[in-house]
Amino acid sequence: MNNVYLYNDSFNELISLIFYLLKNNIKPTNIKDVSYNPNLFEECIFLGIKSKEQDINNIALQFGYYAFRCIYYVYLSNNESKELIIYYFILNAIKYRKKITYMRNLKCVHETLRIAEYVSHETHKMKGFTRFKEINNNILYAEIEPVNNILELVSKHFEKRLKNEYWIIKDVQRRLFSVYDKKNFYIIPEENLKLEDFRISKEEKEIKEMWQLFYKTIGIKERKNDRCRMNFMPKRYWKYLIEMEDEL
Amino acid sequence: MELKEKLKILADSAKYDASCSSSGSNRTSKNGLGNTAIAGICHSFASDGRCISLLKILMTNCCIFDCKYCLNRKSNNIKRAIFTPEEICEITINFYRRNYIEGLFLSSGIIKSPDYTMELMIKTITLLRNKYHFGGYIHAKAIPGASEILLRKLGSLVDRLSANIELPTENGLKLLAPNKDSNKVDKIMSYVKEKQNRKFVPAGQSTQMIIGATKESDLDIMSKSSSMYDNYKLKRVFYSAYIPINKDNLLPTLEKPPLVRENRLYQADWLLRYYNFKVNDLLNENNPNFNILVDPKTDWALRNIELFPKEINKCSYYDLLKIPGIGVKSAQRILKARRNFTITFDELKKLGVVLKRAKYFITCNGKYFMSSSYFKKEFIEANIVLEDKSIENTKIEQLGLFNE
Repeated sequence: MNNVYLYNDSFNELISLIFYLLKNNIKPTNIKDVSYNPNLFEECIFLGIKSKEQDINNIALQFGYYAFRCIYYVYLSNNESKELIIYYFILNAIKYRKKITYMRNLKCVHETLRIAEYVSHETHKMKGFTRFKEINNNILYAEIEPVNNILELVSKHFEKRLKNEYWIIKDVQRRLFSVYDKKNFYIIPEENLKLEDFRISKEEKEIKEMWQLFYKTIGIKERKNDRCRMNFMPKRYWKYLIEMEDEL
Repeated sequence: MELKEKLKILADSAKYDASCSSSGSNRTSKNGLGNTAIAGICHSFASDGRCISLLKILMTNCCIFDCKYCLNRKSNNIKRAIFTPEEICEITINFYRRNYIEGLFLSSGIIKSPDYTMELMIKTITLLRNKYHFGGYIHAKAIPGASEILLRKLGSLVDRLSANIELPTENGLKLLAPNKDSNKVDKIMSYVKEKQNRKFVPAGQSTQMIIGATKESDLDIMSKSSSMYDNYKLKRVFYSAYIPINKDNLLPTLEKPPLVRENRLYQADWLLRYYNFKVNDLLNENNPNFNILVDPKTDWALRNIELFPKEINKCSYYDLLKIPGIGVKSAQRILKARRNFTITFDELKKLGVVLKRAKYFITCNGKYFMSSSYFKKEFIEANIVLEDKSIENTKIEQLGLFNE
């Protein structure tokens, strides 16, 4: 039987589970969160390992902050085998310590760094591509559909940038809201938040049209280059980019 | 005039300025709206593929100058408009709150006098910073000929200041921009260089040159850039392929803007700033223009083929940077990796180094990627040119399909 070890979907629990497996010399076929549906040849094992603060600190102290950040970003990615990649990364990091991030010839390190970079790039893109509109008395509201689970990373950016505004960002695919009350942001599942009486402000249409007009005007037609634009701004982000409305 | 129409006119006349970066500053605002990101953020990309990061507008397109190449020249019969400071603030804040933009790029035609124009710009930006408490990125154009006191005031409000040199030689300037005086631009640049610190123009200064409106060679242009980088510590020089907007006997008639040439200049500009190249390595009197077929670094490597192939596991960081296809990031990765293991071609790929070009110029652990008897200038040159051509062709085909 192939053993699949399960964890409650949280970063801390995943890390503590991995440390437990490594300590006890258990080789998992896979590691998945509890919602996983096993196939015929797999057996799911839930050990109920409680998360320990110490495990998280150990990663940062022993492998370095950069390695820690990479592991966390892989956890946020949508990669199918992200848990196993993290498992093998930590397995090797115990040997190489802070040198681990230079060992790109190891597949797990190569993959970890590659995926972490991908998540970080998407976060950076989303900082630019998120579009807010004003609803119910000055609340800024935006919807995003990122490939990776970067709502938290994006919120951290807007927490600083729009700190004197109330704002809500929705990850449409994952059905999560990030709600900011001018002090902190909270990530809340869709079922726990009722957005009633969704009224868009009067001036919203006017401002949106101004932006669309600016967008159209600023491009130089003698230099038109669709391929270049598509490289920088892939079509899957267009849905919420209001300036692209006409071209969709 | 309606605000929308003003925006259309004043964005339209600002679009030929190439600069759009929003990097280099990390301003935080205590109680207001906005901050800046040290790496800069692109918010959208225009139909020409250029990034849109800032609300790029002119204060006014009225101008007392008559520069031949410029849309806003006095002798052009176009609609003129002027923003009030409040209007600019309102648009900026409304766009910024909705995360359309990273900040404001304010330039202007010269209305009445340089001092009068600068005062209007200062009034606008002061309002934006102090009344609206705007902490986002601001890039302002300094107006040549304005007084030093005004320059100091403006510099203390913005993140980046720039003055456009427009043409690489004095002769070119005399011919096409008779009202412009390059000494005045130099004056601004040296003043900003002296004063620049965390509170004064924290993101540094930049400038722009128009490419292909006059007869200057690439050597003239690169020499000018290089001297400006050395003398004024510029962050960037932007190159803007000349687009024929006006008809004038003094201007060349071009079918298309010289975009490939512009691209080569940017590539060479990067080589100067990050790769330790000097202008004389790349160009000289006998060879004053860049090769249109291959990029400047490959061109240099082919002309100096006796320096290659370089051994990846041994050569210095600066030698790594001279290998075509290897950038700063790759070079640093190689440096760190080879302390821990010997790098082979396979491992080079795992490091994320793109081998398409680099493979011709390196050995890994003593091995060339094919029989070393093929290491010949003619062979490599032919391969690279053909590879680039075939990519170009498939891209055109794909684009064709896409349009249908």
